[in-house]
Amino acid sequence: MAETTSLTEVAQENGPDGKKVNAPPVAHKPIKKKSTIIKLVFIGIALIVGMILAFCPMRFGFTLYHPFMSKEAISLGLDLQGGVYAVYQATNTDTENFDSKMEGTRSSLEALLVSKGYAEATVIIEGSNNDRLRVEIPDVEDASDVLKIIGEPAEIEFVLDETKETVITGTDVVRAQSFYSPNDGGYVVSLELTSDGQDKFFKATSENIDKTMSIVVTIGGESETISTATINTAISGNAIISGGFTAESAQKLADQINSGTFDVSLELKETETISPTLGDNALKYGLIAGVVGFVLVIAFMCLVYRLLGVAAAVALLIYVVLYLFFLAVLPWVQLTLPGIAGILLSIGMAVDANVIIFERIKEEYRNGKSIMAAYHAGFKKALFAILDSNVTTVIACVLLLLLGTGSVSGFALTLLVGVLLSLFTALLVSRGILKYFINLNSHSEKLYNLKRGRMFENLSADATDAGVQEMMDREAKEKQEAKEEKKRLKELEKSGKERRASEGGEA
Amino acid sequence: MKKLDNLLEKDLHIVEKRKILFAIPLAIIVVAIVTAIIFNFTLGSPFNLGTDFTGGYSIDVKLGNRLTDDNYNSYCRRIEDVLSTVTTEDGKEYSVRIDNMQRQGSGDSTAIHVKYHAVKGVSEAEMIDVINPAIKSELEDEILMLIPAVATADKTVTLTYNEIISAPTLADLKNTFVKLAETLNADNNAGMTFDGDAADSVKLDENDSHKVVISFATINASSELDAALASGMKISDKYAGSVTQGDLIGATVSTELLFNAVLAVSLALIFMLCYIGIRFQLSSGLACIIALLHDILIMFSFMAICRIEINSTFIAALITILGYSINNSIIIFDRVRENMRSVFNANMSAEDIANKSIRETLLRSINTTITTLLMILMVAIIGVPDIRIFAFPIIIGLLAGTFSSICIAPSFWALFQRVGKKSGDRTFNKKPLKTKTEKGETEARA
Repeated sequence: MAETTSLTEVAQENGPDGKKVNAPPVAHKPIKKKSTIIKLVFIGIALIVGMILAFCPMRFGFTLYHPFMSKEAISLGLDLQGGVYAVYQATNTDTENFDSKMEGTRSSLEALLVSKGYAEATVIIEGSNNDRLRVEIPDVEDASDVLKIIGEPAEIEFVLDETKETVITGTDVVRAQSFYSPNDGGYVVSLELTSDGQDKFFKATSENIDKTMSIVVTIGGESETISTATINTAISGNAIISGGFTAESAQKLADQINSGTFDVSLELKETETISPTLGDNALKYGLIAGVVGFVLVIAFMCLVYRLLGVAAAVALLIYVVLYLFFLAVLPWVQLTLPGIAGILLSIGMAVDANVIIFERIKEEYRNGKSIMAAYHAGFKKALFAILDSNVTTVIACVLLLLLGTGSVSGFALTLLVGVLLSLFTALLVSRGILKYFINLNSHSEKLYNLKRGRMFENLSADATDAGVQEMMDREAKEKQEAKEEKKRLKELEKSGKERRASEGGEA
Repeated sequence: MKKLDNLLEKDLHIVEKRKILFAIPLAIIVVAIVTAIIFNFTLGSPFNLGTDFTGGYSIDVKLGNRLTDDNYNSYCRRIEDVLSTVTTEDGKEYSVRIDNMQRQGSGDSTAIHVKYHAVKGVSEAEMIDVINPAIKSELEDEILMLIPAVATADKTVTLTYNEIISAPTLADLKNTFVKLAETLNADNNAGMTFDGDAADSVKLDENDSHKVVISFATINASSELDAALASGMKISDKYAGSVTQGDLIGATVSTELLFNAVLAVSLALIFMLCYIGIRFQLSSGLACIIALLHDILIMFSFMAICRIEINSTFIAALITILGYSINNSIIIFDRVRENMRSVFNANMSAEDIANKSIRETLLRSINTTITTLLMILMVAIIGVPDIRIFAFPIIIGLLAGTFSSICIAPSFWALFQRVGKKSGDRTFNKKPLKTKTEKGETEARA
């Protein structure tokens, strides 16, 4: 089968021009060896620079450069980096639907922490009566400011001064935000109100135009009137608190109001910083395991595929450097303990695409293609297998990323980055490098550990494909002739039989 | 290398051997189910679920600067010893299973954070009111105390401490000893007599202030007496901190996380099935999913048989194998697709096509498995213990994935093909074949 498939393909490669196919073997296009060497040297230099950027800490004057592979560059999870954890005790445990309120508080606390930039923060419910919240924030040295604010939520009230009537409270607030507003003369806190709250606020303001309203904030039992303003018009939509805030004080008040909107009031029980001892060891031994495994994988590839393996090794190095780069650069990637193992595993899997391609190249060469033609055909035929298999992994990763929670989506992201990078390095990088290698030497099959199949044992490694074509033509012709010969013999036999039969009949 | 190359020439007839090949994973799964049932009755749960899933209790042993990199492991071992037999006030003995120990804090607040499971068959109230206080007091007695090494020679007993014994401590020790000698004489028939006052025979070693030497006039030396002296003469470790009883800890792997993960994986499977159905055939997609389920079942089976703790990292391992397994199967089905389109295989049966495709991708399957295994084995050998927990299911998953992509997925595909043909659906995937066949024939003739 393969013989004839390659036959048709060779015919296509040589164009439909029949003359060219039958023309005597022509030499390859003259190869610009010099420029190829220059390109290879360039790739080598780029690789060395990449490795230095990835692994070597450097000092420029007073600034220290942190390589990608360092604790400073890659953000680590609580299990590796250490971090802060805090436990909160709910104080009003005897309220109705306490468990569901606790769950609501848990998710809004998590949302608050995420909005503050602690993307990997987790909040879990614990305690014998499910009355405690444990907050874990990895990769921070001191989150005490945020944690304190959670512990002392602010209750906010808008009070009409004349009647002392409360218009809206914290429960009417969806979210508080601080921002700079030139119209209000500085930093303000804007309150996004529930639709119910908006109605109440609009009603109160429209009925009390030209009267004053005070904003009272209660923190830890102490009430303070932050500002008193005259109502000029009926206010619909969101409320804004202004009144001589600085950037910090506005932000702090917004945070306090946000934590005041929790369904359960919380009291800070304990906070502790988790030391990164485990992480140091995990990283250190992970790195050692990675280097040893990497060397073994490369050694295996070079042993089995020789120069092809060398190309794969270079591609793999580029893969590692790029992977570390993305881990360092993508802000929402946090490395966890299984993450380290996952990345190391992905190095083993990234070779897969190369293995698929190389096996194809070997197969094509076995079936009579020149090294260069086998290289082209190998990449072409392996492309869809590689794309299809990786698309399925990408589908799984994207869904886990979108629907998964916490550590699951984090792990899916590192896996996704690995898959995309391995596609890039196998299909572009090792392809390019291999082309340069073959450009430099396209005649030694031993260098690539390639072997001719039985039919093509006498075909030289760099025989032009026109030569292959000629040989195949000859073989096809011989086959055809043999077939015709057989046919003729059969016919002869048949006619002989008939003759004998008729003779018999006559007799 | 020669042998490997020969693999390509030989037909292994894997599809025909499916009965034997399917029996292997089935046997493993049956063994796992049986062991899980046995464990369910003997140990109370079919799987060894970590506190990530089950929740548990925690206790902090604060040791401050006392805890160093060198003695961390020995402290952990001592804590393990203490928790392996905990005696409550009413004399009952319990064995407490530790989930994990972690170093926490820095400086004076450095502590070992111990997570442990609830004792099986004990109510939460009993755990909190009886067992947890017992654990706390035993840890205080054992971990925060310095227990001397006792050496008896003739009529002197030498107690060696890890700490230099100061004058006040020695005075305390003397008082303790006087009382201890009385009780030991009365209860244990120790026969201790002294050449004078009992308190005066307790002296600090002149050359080594870690050692306390007690000289007797008479003593009935025995190993029980040594042990009694060791535990009776322990001193409080003035640098050690305190033991703080933690609380019930919730499962960090919440049902929400598990539900979302299962939902995501199920959706991913449906999408993958659609993708494979479009790019390949529906039967290929189904075969891929069967192979994947096989891999996951085998992973669970080994976790049950070896009773390895399942914690949140196992979820990550499952996700990894999910990608790897499908990937492996697809590579073979890519060959199947190619071989089915080829002119020359038009008359081949589905079994032959599957066999041919397995043969053609076998070297790739083996080589990729080797490179991947090399990496994960290094992780398992060199990595820290927590990473090894992750590596084991991965290794099992990799081997299962290789096996299923070679021996299970193609066989099921061939089976589906035959069922499809028998039910009268003879046209499937024949259309592109026909045109190609005609084209190929004309080309060959020309």
